[in-house]
Amino acid sequence: MDPNNRLYLNFNGNERLGAPSDRQYPTTPSTFPQPVFQTPSQQHLAAQQSASQQYAGGYAPQGNYFAPNPYQAPADYGNAQGAGQYQPRSNTPGTNDPNVGLAHQFSHQNLGGAGRGNAYGSRGPSPGQRPRTAGGSGQQPGYSHANAPPMPGQGSRQPDFQPAPERNPEKYGLNANNNQKKCSQLAADFFKDSVKRARERNLRQSEMEQKLSEPNQSSSRREQIWQNGGKKEARYLRFLRTKDKPENYTTVKIIGKGAFGEVKLVQKKADGQVYAMKSLIKTEMFKKDQLAHVRAERDILAESDSPWVVKLFTTFQDANFLYMLMEFLPGGDLMTMLIKYEIFSEDITRFYIAEIVLAIEAVHKLGFIHRDIKPDNILLDRGGHVKLTDFGLSTGFHKLHDNNYYQQLLQGKSSRPKDRNSVALDQINLTVSNRSQINDWRKSRRLMAYSTVGTPDYIAPEIFTGHGYTFDCDWWSLGTIMFECLVGWPPFCAEDSHDTYRKIVNWRQSLYFPDDITLGAEAEHLIRSLICNTEVRLGRGGAQEIKNHAFFRGVEFDSLRRIRAPFEPRLTSAIDTTYFPTDEIDQTDNATALRNQAMAVGKQVEESPEMSLPFIGYTFKRFDNNFR
Amino acid sequence: MEQLNSLDPYYGSIGNARLRGTSGKAQGQNKSPVQTNSGQPISPTNLSQGSQSPISLAPKIPPLPNSPSLAQNISMDDSGNAGANGDDALSVYHLPRPLPLWLNAQYAKHIVKGNFMTLSARPKTVEQGEWIAHQVVEHYRNLWNFVRVIHEKEEDGTTICNPQTCPRMSAGANHSFTWLNYKREPVELPAYEYITLMQRWISGKIDDTNIFPTDTNGVSYAHNPSITTTPLSQLSNPEDKDWIGKASGFPENFVEVCQTIFRQMFRVYAHLYWAHFIDPFYHLNLEKQLNSCFSHFVLTACALDMLKPQELEPMQPLIDLWAANGTFPPGSKAYEYSNQKAGERLMQLANVA
Repeated sequence: MDPNNRLYLNFNGNERLGAPSDRQYPTTPSTFPQPVFQTPSQQHLAAQQSASQQYAGGYAPQGNYFAPNPYQAPADYGNAQGAGQYQPRSNTPGTNDPNVGLAHQFSHQNLGGAGRGNAYGSRGPSPGQRPRTAGGSGQQPGYSHANAPPMPGQGSRQPDFQPAPERNPEKYGLNANNNQKKCSQLAADFFKDSVKRARERNLRQSEMEQKLSEPNQSSSRREQIWQNGGKKEARYLRFLRTKDKPENYTTVKIIGKGAFGEVKLVQKKADGQVYAMKSLIKTEMFKKDQLAHVRAERDILAESDSPWVVKLFTTFQDANFLYMLMEFLPGGDLMTMLIKYEIFSEDITRFYIAEIVLAIEAVHKLGFIHRDIKPDNILLDRGGHVKLTDFGLSTGFHKLHDNNYYQQLLQGKSSRPKDRNSVALDQINLTVSNRSQINDWRKSRRLMAYSTVGTPDYIAPEIFTGHGYTFDCDWWSLGTIMFECLVGWPPFCAEDSHDTYRKIVNWRQSLYFPDDITLGAEAEHLIRSLICNTEVRLGRGGAQEIKNHAFFRGVEFDSLRRIRAPFEPRLTSAIDTTYFPTDEIDQTDNATALRNQAMAVGKQVEESPEMSLPFIGYTFKRFDNNFR
Repeated sequence: MEQLNSLDPYYGSIGNARLRGTSGKAQGQNKSPVQTNSGQPISPTNLSQGSQSPISLAPKIPPLPNSPSLAQNISMDDSGNAGANGDDALSVYHLPRPLPLWLNAQYAKHIVKGNFMTLSARPKTVEQGEWIAHQVVEHYRNLWNFVRVIHEKEEDGTTICNPQTCPRMSAGANHSFTWLNYKREPVELPAYEYITLMQRWISGKIDDTNIFPTDTNGVSYAHNPSITTTPLSQLSNPEDKDWIGKASGFPENFVEVCQTIFRQMFRVYAHLYWAHFIDPFYHLNLEKQLNSCFSHFVLTACALDMLKPQELEPMQPLIDLWAANGTFPPGSKAYEYSNQKAGERLMQLANVA
């Protein structure tokens, strides 16, 4: 191992930037509409409250909509962030660091919870009070008591409403029932999205008012703040009512390819903004049963506003593809780093593993299990800090919960030709010091990453043994990545995936630390605490367990993202793809080709593609300061 | 009369406004002896729309020369003990008995709770035209989700709303809506066709970037006297005409176009309630979704002056109910346009008061 090839942690440059800007977000404002999840008991409860109680104070007059603002953003927050804490580290002045976005300041707000008294949606009567609507004498068409005064409490009087028949959805055709699903889903999405947008808008408004109220500001500055605020909102509104399409973007380069599509560096024609655009082939997603995964990824990315998660700006679709427009992270991924440097020093490893711990923790806090944490999915932003991507589908992991698939793999022969033909690894002792073999493996791993199968190297055994898994499966992956950083290859690396699966399941026998690489005792201990049975795995009781491990002694997790990363990408432009192996990726733009093909054939889509049932509700639009 | 007017301060004004009402039906087809909805030659918008297309897509209401005002209606209505109770407030609507299911508070519920005003209120910095455009598009998308259910053909070519079920674009027995034909005569159409025309007409407007500009460079902001100094529109020439949306690049007739769109959408909602609430929406478990989208629609349309009080008539009792049960918060225009007495009466009838 060439010591010059090692990357060392740059401790000197680790000035702590600014005070911790722990954001404080208000809790759910009471006046926002909330989805109703009714239970009969709640209905009963709500019915007992009187109208005046329920609505008093729940309404803020329109004119004062923003005035009685319950959110008190920290006074200097907008400024601290806006002035660009990250700015000094920017290597390319004049480009927008996507991480310093205004949108970053808006946290995801919990839609549920905070049940208020003004639950008019659940104001139904208790079942006992149900009006008798069927069969009673009150249902005779001629019956009328329009002129009679109401006599509450008198049992003989029947409410005079049309009877409610037994619900019978089956009487309608297939299309009507499909449309029912769309309608129900879209209506729910509409309110959920609208509430979220209103909430975020409210926050932006109060932030702007904060800025306006700062003393010693010229009136022209104040006017500018106001105008910019209004224009930014207006751009977002226009964005919301326009349909986005791939033709609005030009492809700069293809920076990733997978079984289900590709990732391109694109520029928006209208404003030159740079994004990573992931296009997924609908038919493939459908065939390979990946719909749930796409949806999961869309959901987690749409809901997250975490700095540890790659940001999703918008999703749209046409007849053939789903598109995800994401922030472009120019630093490349950890896999490329590992291919380049082979191994990291313990200090560097500590930095990345600590950041990955925080990133995984952030994902878990959103309620998601990543299940496919691997170096290819760990991206580096322009400051060299970690962000997670590829939620739920990655570069083609088959049916993650399909046990049959894994059982098949575990029993007997591989079901397909070996995908690592180019590699000849010693299966018995993988960790031979035969560097050339390892290098062969290293070369093949990118191919592996782009293959339909993906690499199983980092997956926890419980995921494919079918005994159920939970959040801690991601901590296993962390252990394998840490192993790879320090040793140079993943612990269960084998000639083909079939053998890798077997090794993972038999991890007790196959986990082996090579003699010629000296690991610190704490590092090895941490790895062994992660690569182990789920019952005793560190992190099972939360990320704090891992943070407290001796290996991380002295690491200040709270400010980690603000220190200088050991490796900072050097970029020459906003579309610099130095850190992507673009020369190794087939630059054929399949999405565009396919689209042109479809257009040439003159295929007409009857209805707008976002209305095809499996992909309903996929479209998403985030407010962001990219709408300059 | 006096008693009735004293029922609700807003009621009188509704009555007056109805003299200029736009909802109407062809004369001589009145099923109800009392309820004769007046119509008047429509707004210039409607007429000009008619001229834009060979087969006129413009909604049109025939003028009724002798249409009595609502006040007359009320005075003619001999509901004995007028005044005190909500039954009188209800009786002016001449609703069929038994009352439609959607007026039963049990079935007037929502999938959301809370204050819808937060979704309708224009953000302070946003220019009014921009906000209206946004709302038009959002509500149109919502409405179409419901229309699709009754309007999309099955494999065998049938639709839930068809000329047999709905020979007219009706909202109950007392209301039906007409289109102008090429001679600019109001004609009655099956609801299915009316909705087809309506959809074509509205998307023609919304997709026209001259009416609904999408260029993100053309945006503006709301004028704020205490902060912004010179509204852009007045920079060029103070004598130039100003209109809502001008600064953001919306055309001069933008508000009129949007009002017509909202009026059209309202008619479709009214038809969905009167003709299709049970069949299919109730059966398909969509009535809460429908209620939520429609109440949000009404709240927004009223708040933005996209619908006039008299235009709400076919759905007035439901609006009253929602005002009484808190769906429309006091202070909102929709609440202001309602008769809470009637709403409370409906709640009583449904045993939820």
